[in-house]
Amino acid sequence: MRIMIIGGGNVGYYLTKSLSADRHRIMIIEEDRSRCEQIASDLGSGHIEVTCGDGTDVACLREAGIFNTDVLVAVTGHDQNNLVACQLARNCFGVKQTISRVKNPKNIRVFEKLGVDSVISSTERIAGIIDRELDWTDVNRLLKDRSCNVRLRKVTVMPGSVYEHRFLKDIGLPGGLILIAVLRGDQAIIPSGSTCLEAGDIAVIWGSEEDINGTFGENREKKEIAE
Amino acid sequence: MYIIITGCGRIGSDLADRLSGEGNDVVIIDRDSGNFSRLGSGTNCMTVTGMPIDEDILKEAGIEKADALLAVTDDDNTNIMTTQIAQHLYHVPFVIARTADPEKQRALTKMNLKTVCSATLMVESMLSALKKGGTDS
Repeated sequence: MRIMIIGGGNVGYYLTKSLSADRHRIMIIEEDRSRCEQIASDLGSGHIEVTCGDGTDVACLREAGIFNTDVLVAVTGHDQNNLVACQLARNCFGVKQTISRVKNPKNIRVFEKLGVDSVISSTERIAGIIDRELDWTDVNRLLKDRSCNVRLRKVTVMPGSVYEHRFLKDIGLPGGLILIAVLRGDQAIIPSGSTCLEAGDIAVIWGSEEDINGTFGENREKKEIAE
Repeated sequence: MYIIITGCGRIGSDLADRLSGEGNDVVIIDRDSGNFSRLGSGTNCMTVTGMPIDEDILKEAGIEKADALLAVTDDDNTNIMTTQIAQHLYHVPFVIARTADPEKQRALTKMNLKTVCSATLMVESMLSALKKGGTDS
């Protein structure tokens, strides 16, 4: 996939590193020249192109190769810049999927309303899950198109919930539900019976809508992975 | 009219002075309260200190009842985001954003966002002055 990343701070840097390891083609735009040089010398390869400039500038986006970009990921530290980068990508250059980081969690709703496809508010989580996020969207769409009621969902373990401090082997998920992964900070844990759930963990569950709602009703994160 | 202005620089403060002078209810937002000293001594408008892209700040400024929002900070992207929040989330009837970059302005026009670009205006008035001068001589 051709992925354009706006912002070469820590998030952009590690995102570039992990996505290029998966053989995606990465174009990254960063304003600070010395930061650009550092990214190029650390990560430089045939898969990565670094452009020094403003990722919300039409000419700069063009120069960096926005045409034929499959996904644009905006991860600067300024919400307004991330929004404009996503909107220019979609409206001027026909980029099909836009993903943005927001610093102010209240902007999740704003960004979704203004046409950004995926909005992520946690800096820590973004690098680890972004690649999977793309696939999840496709998986859920695929299942929906086939009239199948099984979905992939994220469930956040809330403080004080019945699942907090419990080992998976003691919880006993009902048949038909499969716990695929536990996302904790920037780690993705492949669960086993001895995995202990903590508040703030995000459990990735595979199962029917009814079973997930029945089991995790109060714990479900409001925003679903994708519809 | 109930009018919100974001950015109390040279442009924002002048707009606030004039619009409140005409009897409008004016609220001006700036992230630096020191900038409110630019307002004319006779200007009677409400001031709110904070980032204009923060919905809480916009609500404090009364966006739910605003008739118009003029986004004139010196940051294009802040103005673009502010006007879109006003237009699409709060259905403010008239919104306009100040931009510095003519190419961005063209892109925004495609997205049905009303903008004023100082560079475009400057070029247009220079050209029309030049043409006028040309026919006079």
